[in-house]
Amino acid sequence: MLFLGMYSWNQTTHTLDDFATDTGLELGGAVLSPVRALEDAVRTLWTRYADLVAVREENEVLKTEVAQLEAQLLTVREDLAELRRLRVLLQVPIDKNWRPLAARVLSGQIGPNAVLNSITINRGYATGGRPGTPLVSSKGLIGRILKASAHSASVMLMTDPGSHIAVYTQQSRALGVLRGAGAAKRLALDFVPRDTLVSIGEVIVTSGLDGVYPKGLPTARVVTVEPSNYTEFLAITAEPLVDLQHLEEVLLLEHTGAAPEVEEGVMAPREFVGPPKPEKRARK
Amino acid sequence: MGWFGNVLWWLGFTCTGIVCQMLVPRIDALLAGLILLLQQRDYRTLLWVLPLFIFLQEGLGTSRFGSSIVWYALIFLLFHIGERFFRSDTFVFVFFLSAAGGAAYYGIHLLMAPLQELDVNVEQLVDASFLQAFFLPLFWRICSLLRPKEELHPDHDDG
Repeated sequence: MLFLGMYSWNQTTHTLDDFATDTGLELGGAVLSPVRALEDAVRTLWTRYADLVAVREENEVLKTEVAQLEAQLLTVREDLAELRRLRVLLQVPIDKNWRPLAARVLSGQIGPNAVLNSITINRGYATGGRPGTPLVSSKGLIGRILKASAHSASVMLMTDPGSHIAVYTQQSRALGVLRGAGAAKRLALDFVPRDTLVSIGEVIVTSGLDGVYPKGLPTARVVTVEPSNYTEFLAITAEPLVDLQHLEEVLLLEHTGAAPEVEEGVMAPREFVGPPKPEKRARK
Repeated sequence: MGWFGNVLWWLGFTCTGIVCQMLVPRIDALLAGLILLLQQRDYRTLLWVLPLFIFLQEGLGTSRFGSSIVWYALIFLLFHIGERFFRSDTFVFVFFLSAAGGAAYYGIHLLMAPLQELDVNVEQLVDASFLQAFFLPLFWRICSLLRPKEELHPDHDDG
């Protein structure tokens, strides 16, 4: 009875949750950070030694690579110009209201109470990692911070069944909700109407409509598309773009709190109208 | 071992336990220490080590506060029941306790998940329960070997 009373009281006030986060997570983070630093130092030392051994051969290879890269750079410049043009076309503005902060992954699911697909990182509310802060890597979205102590935070990965992200598909512009189904399982893209043309391999990006994630973050890639047997929607599965099992460094997107920029000659901020209407698939 | 040495030993144990938990996901490595304390009947140390472990596990975890209390309470109960049938300082006792503890681990998570409206991945939970049951005797054995001899089994030194 005493336990149930305490449990109910904590459910409403979160006092014990907050205290456990401030003490337990902080202590755990303080223990794990030096361990990771030591691991990094040993790895760096070993890598440097290995590099030293192979440096001569590598130098020759690198010289050849530099020549190849110089040639590729010319092509990349063209691609960059094309990307800028496409961004304008797709109306995906580069959002400057989010500041990236680097963080180190301290551990995966840790302890018997880590029931969600989660990781622990070395940034907390005092260092830019507040609850709700999105996490990305160079390849795409990872998840968001669930709870934070001063210098450590627990992050819920996008594969967790409790993760629901407002997204749209990049080519067909179909709005939906990307839902996790568990570690090492495919994600499900819900609420995409049956008559929408979604192709396999299409990239899914955040729509920003949930108010949690900034718009335009690459999230997953469509793996299967078929009509659902039970609903009026498509049954779409996708796989994350990021390898969530082997994360080391991540980027936190800290909201600067700044209002969206007003374009020159426009009095009010541009109104968000959402992606264009999806193409309709011809009914058979 | 003096008071200060004892505190240092337990802080070292806690740090090592956290690192073990980092290496093997979802297991409770600190539980081996609690069993060691129960075997030693060192309730004075248990008084500060237990809250430390509870807050650590709750802080590092992602569930609502409370699971660790039920988990440790069940282990204490199983320990006292097992003590009636076996000598508590033997490996066989710890082996049976860890097997029962593995089942308790499964039961508690299955029980606590609906309270937090969480989906239970039964496969993962079974894996974690087996890992917990497998690693506990191992951790306990290592800890009991590392613990200074005079600290172990104080009730057997009398005769």
